[in-house]
Amino acid sequence: MEPLTGMGVLALMGAAATIAGASEDLESDIGSQSNPNSQVQLAPQMMYPHRIYSKAISGEPPSNALMCAIGGTVASVLISINTSAILALVIGSIIAAAIHGTYSVTAYFGRSASQKRFKQPVYLDLIRSHTPVIIGYSFITTFCILVVSYLMVTVMAHPFSLPLLAFIWGIAVGAIGSSTGDVHYGAERQFQNVEYGSGLNAANSGNIVRKAESGLRNGIDNSWFCAKFGGPVTGLAFGMTVFLSGWITALFDPSKGDSIGWVSVIAGVIIVLSLILWNRSIEVAARAAYGTYKEDEVDVEVAA
Amino acid sequence: MIDIAGILMSNMSYLILITLGGALISWSVHFVPVGGAPAAMAQATGIGTGTVQLAAGAGLTGLVTAGAMMQVTDNMALIIASGAVGAMIMISVTMMVGALVYTYGVGCPPASAKVKYDPITKDRQDLYVSQGTEGHGLPTVSFVSGVIGGALGGFGGAVIYYSLMSIENGLPLVDLVGIASVFAVGIFFVNSVIPSYNIGGTIEGFHDPKFKRFPKAVISSLIATFVCAILAVLSIGGL
Repeated sequence: MEPLTGMGVLALMGAAATIAGASEDLESDIGSQSNPNSQVQLAPQMMYPHRIYSKAISGEPPSNALMCAIGGTVASVLISINTSAILALVIGSIIAAAIHGTYSVTAYFGRSASQKRFKQPVYLDLIRSHTPVIIGYSFITTFCILVVSYLMVTVMAHPFSLPLLAFIWGIAVGAIGSSTGDVHYGAERQFQNVEYGSGLNAANSGNIVRKAESGLRNGIDNSWFCAKFGGPVTGLAFGMTVFLSGWITALFDPSKGDSIGWVSVIAGVIIVLSLILWNRSIEVAARAAYGTYKEDEVDVEVAA
Repeated sequence: MIDIAGILMSNMSYLILITLGGALISWSVHFVPVGGAPAAMAQATGIGTGTVQLAAGAGLTGLVTAGAMMQVTDNMALIIASGAVGAMIMISVTMMVGALVYTYGVGCPPASAKVKYDPITKDRQDLYVSQGTEGHGLPTVSFVSGVIGGALGGFGGAVIYYSLMSIENGLPLVDLVGIASVFAVGIFFVNSVIPSYNIGGTIEGFHDPKFKRFPKAVISSLIATFVCAILAVLSIGGL
């Protein structure tokens, strides 16, 4: 393949992956899936009943992998009977999103109903208002992942099948969303009632914010907040993963010889080293800006 | 009738490589700094997700890059190195963006609660741990440990994929890729799950006392992967 064409396709894949990452995180924030769900489930038990959509279908990676694998399988079958690729990807994504929506509703009913003894209400209007948004976001995620996988199979000639690539990228987007954007929801948005700038004190576990800017807080309020930072950075992370892992071989094409292949490996290692240095600079800047939480005992003794 | 002994004997080297690849994945998971649900609330050092999820996410990204490389070369070292690099890129990007969220979204500096000084940077850790938490974010030692974990995981996954693809069989290439990749993903998951019993939800990296427990997981993985490898070799070699 021409290097310029390869870079163009890779840019398109990176853009689709960025959108997939952002929509994946916002979808999980609306439904309060993944790790922050532990606090949403704990809240009623600590006598804090809430109006937040609680759908822990499973961890984010398996749930996204299921969605994407269903979408990829449906799309593959449709493409094999000569359906247009775009139509096949759209239909695959619609079916996957609808199945995800079904799981969301059953998960919400199950989680909330099982907490009846803690006086946690089941809000039927939450189902009506939140589920279509969850389905919408999961459609965007699945469609973008399928676009990435389809481009890899058809243009980049990747040997893996479309459903398998969709499955693997589904696992990856879930792992990234769960590791990055969810922290913004779990550590900041859920606990805006405590002072900014620290981790959650174990004593405050379950005491999540239940009042919104107007009325009672719900999942869509959380998504609104996380769309300002958590969602976009998740998109950035997944976009960078897809783009950088392909970029090194697009630039240094290993099909032209093993020596160029080794250059691509070295380029990858240089990227990783620069990320280590970037993380170190963030660490130094954060420590300088925020300071310590407690004083050194030696300093305290000297001052006394 | 399938000649079971014959298939196993003729692919003995791949059987051993698959088993060693599985053990390597099991060891690699111990390096990955995961804080589970507490880390998502900035209550523990590491990445805010589960062990299996992150290790699998990184390792499978490595499998994608190794698969792409195997399409254009048969140089085993290059295929395995590209698998390791793919996994390293995924895990470093995730940790770096995670560090951005902890620092600018949550407002807390990276700190480890398991050691007083970072073994790499020699920075003081305990003073930066906020009250009521077991540390938060990703100090340099955890980040480097995660990169090593990603590299070993991608390495192990690529070894397994390369070995599965090299088994003698009568399948067309497209079918062989399909079955080999599914087996590789399956074996990866088996070996990501086994160490999570050792880790028990949170581990900060190679400086964490829990890291010393890895031999038990590696031995368990050797046994589990050996059984998986026999099944994989027989399934692919018998077709």
